[in-house]
Amino acid sequence: MKVGILSFQGSFFDHSKSIETIGYSPVFIKHDTNIQDLDALILPGGESTAMNKINNYQNIFNDLDILIKSGIPTLSTCAGTILLANQVVGGNITIPNIDIQITRNAYGRQTESFEGSVSFFDNEDIYCFIRAPKITQLLSDDVKVIAKHDSDIVGVQQKNIVALTFHPELNNDRYYLDWLHNFIKEGKNVRTF
Amino acid sequence: MKIESTDKVKKGLAEMLKGGVIMDVVNAEQAVIAEKSGAVAVMALERIPADIRADGGVARMSSVGVIQEVMDSVSIPVMAKARIGHFVEAQILDSLGIDFIDESEVLTPADEVNHINKQTFKAPFVCGATDIGEATRRIAEGASMIRTKGEAGTGNVVEAVRHMRTITNQLNEVLTCDENQLVALGKKFGAPLNVLQQIKEQNKLPVVNFAAGGIATPADAALMMQLGCDGVFVGSGIFKSGDPAERAEAIVIATTNFNDPKILGEVSKDLGEPMVGINIDTLSEEEKLAKRGW
Repeated sequence: MKVGILSFQGSFFDHSKSIETIGYSPVFIKHDTNIQDLDALILPGGESTAMNKINNYQNIFNDLDILIKSGIPTLSTCAGTILLANQVVGGNITIPNIDIQITRNAYGRQTESFEGSVSFFDNEDIYCFIRAPKITQLLSDDVKVIAKHDSDIVGVQQKNIVALTFHPELNNDRYYLDWLHNFIKEGKNVRTF
Repeated sequence: MKIESTDKVKKGLAEMLKGGVIMDVVNAEQAVIAEKSGAVAVMALERIPADIRADGGVARMSSVGVIQEVMDSVSIPVMAKARIGHFVEAQILDSLGIDFIDESEVLTPADEVNHINKQTFKAPFVCGATDIGEATRRIAEGASMIRTKGEAGTGNVVEAVRHMRTITNQLNEVLTCDENQLVALGKKFGAPLNVLQQIKEQNKLPVVNFAAGGIATPADAALMMQLGCDGVFVGSGIFKSGDPAERAEAIVIATTNFNDPKILGEVSKDLGEPMVGINIDTLSEEEKLAKRGW
């Protein structure tokens, strides 16, 4: 299984470690030449403004959009989720594929970054929120909440896309890796619920 | 459950900056140019290193007004410098809610023996290093990110290359030694044993390592990336050049595409004048900023 990881900048290397751990092959995506034959896609955390700017040169977001709409399992974390949101407060709409409104840096600056308990599908663990965005509105019934921190929605699924505002790749806990393994294995049949 | 400013959260921000370019800026206008050019963070300063070098005198933490102006003008993380050992400047920066503190040799040191105990702060710290001993001592003090010192404000990449090669060679020595040699290596490098053990466990430096000090062109940035740096700081190189916005963008694209000479050539075209460089040989020992730090 080949899992593409957007690698303009950000935590793409941490995601590649997760992918190697579960026995799949990470493919670092920078150009349109290496997005052929991918079985899954990951959009990592980083700075969404920088990723947008870099794409003006690399010009691959249209191809990624087609790939996502083809139905392959797609995971986004933090800035990656900002890229996929249909509405962005304090930022640009980039590859709109999830019916959510997201607010950038919603918890504040780095001094407000935290580790917090998260219910992720049917597991509870502690994950990092780093200058994290907040999912401030669900814009359609197709969006299912799959992760919460207190009352905050921190993860959603819409069709083949799972979008998170926290960083499971910095934990690589057993539950997350097992979930990721199955999510990618199910391929285009990935269940919506 | 919620705990702020943990070690993991601090090192995590550095992970998010990976593969990116951090730019020195002296006001809101430059900060906006940097953000629009694709910087992953900015360093708010009163004077860029080339001017600090030219002006002489004591270089201190920038005025709070400049730092706040920059913090208010961009949505990317904002860093600021405190003097080596000046924990009160760091306390002030921390209270402003700065995203990263650079305990920097570019400013005049406030303590000739001790660095800041960085564990006690909410903001993560980045520190300069010329070798693995310095890097690991800073990590032991709580640094969440390391950068080469290079020789700031010179536009000359030679010292950054020297520091990166030294760190890489020494790191390889640690990674390939057997456990029985670890204490002796610690003695040789002046490296705390617990950090060497972390290096062994993780099979790499436990924090992100950026290039800094003398990077002036897209090719310089790509050179440091090919040498194994995780990202790049550009100080005087951008706003001391002929066309800052264009050069900033070119360095960002070069850092992402560091392994692609064709793209590096493309973005290096028609960039205007780079900053004027200084030969390291012409600097006296006292003028070398990399000597600061212990």
